[in-house]
Amino acid sequence: MSVRKPGFRLLLTLALVLLALLLAGCDTKDPQNTFSPVGDVADDQRDLFNLVLWPAVVILILVEGLLVVALLRFRRRSPDELPKQVHGNTRLELAWTIAPALLLMVLAVPTVASIVELGRAPSADALKVTAVGQQWVWSFQYPDYKDAQGNVLTVFGTPEEPPEMHIPPDLEIAIQLQAADVIHSFWVPKLAGKKDAIPGRNNRMWLIAREPGTYSGQCAEFCGLAHAEMRFVVVVHENMDDFQQWVDDQLSEEAAAPGTSGPVAGRYGE
Amino acid sequence: MQHAPTADAALETSTGLDNRKLLMWLFLASECLFFGSLIAAYLLYRNQSIGAPCPSDCVIDGVTHEGLFDIPFTSVSAFVLLMSSVSMVLALAAIQRADQRGMRVWLATTALLGMLFISGQAFEFTEFHREGLSLSSNLFGTTFFVLTGFHGAHVTVGVLILLSLLVMAFRGRLNQAQSLHVELAGLYWHFVDVVWIVIFTLVYLIQP
Amino acid sequence: MARLTMGQRAVTMVEALRMAREEGATYRGIWSWITTVDHKRIGVMYGVTAFAFFLVGGIEALLLRLQLATPNGGVLDADTYNQLFTMHGTTMVFLVVMPLSAAFFNLLVPLMIGARDVAFPRLNAFSYWVFLFGGLFMNASFIAGEAPNAGWFGYANLTSTTFSPGHAIDFWALGLQILGIASMASGFNFLVTIFNMRAPGMSLFRMPLFVWMTMVTSFLIIFAFPVITVGLFELLFDRLFEANFFNPAEGGSPLLWQHMFWLFGHPEVYILILPAMGIVSEVLPTFSRKPLFGYPFVVFSGIAIGFMSWGVWAHHMYTTGLGTVANSAFGISTLLIAVPTGIKIFNWMATLWGGSINIKTPLLFAVGFIAMFVVGGLTGVTHSIVPSDYQQQDTYYVVAHFHQVLFGGSMFALFAGIYYWYPKFTGRLLNEGWGQVNFWLMFIGFNLTFQPMMISGLLGMPRRIYTYPDGMGWDVWNLTSTVGAFLIAASVLAFIVNVIVSMRDKRPAGADPWDGRTLEWTIPSPPPPYNFAEIPTVRARDDFWHRKYREDESGRAIPVVAGAAVEEEHAAGEHHAIHMPSPSFFPLIAALGLPMVALGLMYDYALVAAGAAVLVVGVYGWALEPASE
Repeated sequence: MSVRKPGFRLLLTLALVLLALLLAGCDTKDPQNTFSPVGDVADDQRDLFNLVLWPAVVILILVEGLLVVALLRFRRRSPDELPKQVHGNTRLELAWTIAPALLLMVLAVPTVASIVELGRAPSADALKVTAVGQQWVWSFQYPDYKDAQGNVLTVFGTPEEPPEMHIPPDLEIAIQLQAADVIHSFWVPKLAGKKDAIPGRNNRMWLIAREPGTYSGQCAEFCGLAHAEMRFVVVVHENMDDFQQWVDDQLSEEAAAPGTSGPVAGRYGE
Repeated sequence: MQHAPTADAALETSTGLDNRKLLMWLFLASECLFFGSLIAAYLLYRNQSIGAPCPSDCVIDGVTHEGLFDIPFTSVSAFVLLMSSVSMVLALAAIQRADQRGMRVWLATTALLGMLFISGQAFEFTEFHREGLSLSSNLFGTTFFVLTGFHGAHVTVGVLILLSLLVMAFRGRLNQAQSLHVELAGLYWHFVDVVWIVIFTLVYLIQP
Repeated sequence: MARLTMGQRAVTMVEALRMAREEGATYRGIWSWITTVDHKRIGVMYGVTAFAFFLVGGIEALLLRLQLATPNGGVLDADTYNQLFTMHGTTMVFLVVMPLSAAFFNLLVPLMIGARDVAFPRLNAFSYWVFLFGGLFMNASFIAGEAPNAGWFGYANLTSTTFSPGHAIDFWALGLQILGIASMASGFNFLVTIFNMRAPGMSLFRMPLFVWMTMVTSFLIIFAFPVITVGLFELLFDRLFEANFFNPAEGGSPLLWQHMFWLFGHPEVYILILPAMGIVSEVLPTFSRKPLFGYPFVVFSGIAIGFMSWGVWAHHMYTTGLGTVANSAFGISTLLIAVPTGIKIFNWMATLWGGSINIKTPLLFAVGFIAMFVVGGLTGVTHSIVPSDYQQQDTYYVVAHFHQVLFGGSMFALFAGIYYWYPKFTGRLLNEGWGQVNFWLMFIGFNLTFQPMMISGLLGMPRRIYTYPDGMGWDVWNLTSTVGAFLIAASVLAFIVNVIVSMRDKRPAGADPWDGRTLEWTIPSPPPPYNFAEIPTVRARDDFWHRKYREDESGRAIPVVAGAAVEEEHAAGEHHAIHMPSPSFFPLIAALGLPMVALGLMYDYALVAAGAAVLVVGVYGWALEPASE
């Protein structure tokens, strides 16, 4: 097959793409890599993607391959060449209508199952965190933990220093999403897919982290000028005690320096 | 290519329908989506409005606020619009049997009834405004005025079309051969009337 | 020169207008373009204007790519970046792909159905002028120093005056309203044309597939645009008159905007792709010398896509928290809409299979379309795996998907159409050598630009960020994309060179350079103003092909002697008996009122009154002027 034939370039491009895709999945260092999840939800999402990816690749190679073969095999060889005039084939039409529909409905089953599981209410003993999106900085509140004055433990960020959401491992975290001004979206790819924070609405999601570490996240809904800078970090502690220690430290720090300024998320984001 | 609207013009087309009549039907079909979206917004927001004024009696913070709607009044203006559709039908029937005078009378009647409806709307809106309802007052004000406002604008355009037809008639340019113009105006007018019936029912009559 | 009285001046003006109109009817000079109601000229104007906006949108893209080529890029600041990505998207969707499609509707539909023009020629001209003024209006925002900057889908409540003060969003919303009027007028026009003006014998199932796709697209336009019109009115009322549609403080929901936008937006993307699919459905059979495989199925799948496009809108909203039932329902409907799309792809491949394939530039772009659209379609299927979409949504993976279908899809097909029909409307062929350069540069550049985005998206790179830090693993992919973007730019230059080269080529293309199948190839290139000397009587689908070739029992095609005879050029003046619609000023005048009203709403209400007056004068003049004399 000569380099000039249309098929060669096409196949080459495709091969490179696939190779790259495979390579990408291998690099676990990338901080927001959805292919190297460390939480149950992101795991599930990655598995679903792989489930559809491989049939898609097979179909892709088949279709592109047939295209290339058709161009090579049936290219015009003489100016007067007139091929057989085929108008259609009803059996073929039914086949390539029904088969894809069936395949897609097969994919629908694990999809819906996962939608239900991910959309369920958080369990009763989940740790509650409220993520508040405000132009252009996140803050996190822990309604379960209050200081002596009754103030809820809150972590603020600044544009220079992204806020840290600390959580223990292996425990379900129930995240409430609130928006103080415009729509934002809470996304920490290695732990879970995103959910929007919409003013006037109370969205919620849950996640479970399985490996201690620091995981990068950022706002994923365009929210104005510094949308790109609205980052945060999720710190997963070694164990529950370690996390509890952090909580205690935070609360005693707050007691020492009370009166923090920051966003207040009212019912309608006022 | 467009000639004077005769019966022959319609026969030249693949469907047998005059181009302009088909255009009007398609336009009205798209208008269904337009008004449908406005009505949907009104209905979706029906129970979300915060504070007074309200369409019907409501209790806010222990205080009862009287509802704004005066159903008997609005029923009369709805009836007026309905009657204008009757006169529109009569106008078309007149010109189709070459009754120029009859057409003028009924076209004028339709336009007058339409203007009466608009006056009723204007009066109603002024009353509501006096009670504190506006585009910005609350969600009810927003959705109500935008929905009924656009409808009123459509009626106004209709009245202008009818008056233009009357002017054409007085210049001797609206005869039996041009009856399609009246028919098209009639289609538009009936549509605007039907939309009002839907709005009146959903917004005024059916209260949650 | 004697001083004229008011009355005399008025008379002179009317005289001048009439003379200009008469001169316009001679098809010469600038007046003939300004007053034209000829679908072929309007088509050319749409095409040229759309291409100019393509260059504008392309430069915007290059600037974006320069900024993103490296982490912490310093080419553009956040504000400029936000304006550029918004205008890039808005321009490409509304000022390039849609009007290019409109160009093809205009040029081809009357010819393909054997008509002399569209049903409403002045409405047609009006559509063009409104489009031009709408595009200029929107881009005037750059001159005002505040181009729209909240994305091409402008989510509430970022677009409220609280969070978007100034006029940027007003330019966007008002501009889209104006453009919507142009599109709707076009939609109505082509529907009436297709239903009512077919040549004798041309039943619906004998129409070329491109005409079917025009019909479905036109239905989508007239039903989808009213929804966005209402949405935009709601946004404008919030901004201009402090209404509360999207104001959370008063109980309004920003989510309502998303529903309205995407109820329009999803049919809109099918509006963007169906005409392209129509073009491919014409190019492939001609270049394979075989009929379109499964024509009825391709027709029905197009209609099915039209209907189903209304049932998938919330797949743009999976992460907004609509609930399990809604997400499941839309997940399933989105999976299913892949079925009619697949049917088309399989039928196109079966058209090629067993054919005698003439590998020329139009064919290359058409095959490139299929190759790229398959990738785009498959990534679309991955989006419908809803929980996986919670990761994909709002990332570069989505950006890859929609560029795959809109650029690799629509634009490739539109280029196929340009190369295919260029000889019909200009009388000469585009250069094949430069065409190959154009195609390969564009194909390679396109893949180099957008395939890496699938990776960076899945590596967690969100959309609409003006910069990114290093150490995310995104660097090499972004750099590759930027290189690819410049290759695309080079390919567009190659196209421009090709046009210039072809203008110097004196060889006439002839009426039927590609051995075509449909009626437009039976008349001279370029066509005379009246299209057909005699309206043809149609006896079959692909009527022209069947005049040239007959089929024997085994399905072999056999040339018919003198079947290819086309209408000869007739000397101008021999067809006075054919009445063509007269040129007119009023569409342009009426169109002019719209941007005046829009500017007035932003700056000075007196201008609103003036614009309304111009509109009314234009419309009344139009209504009272005879269509042809």
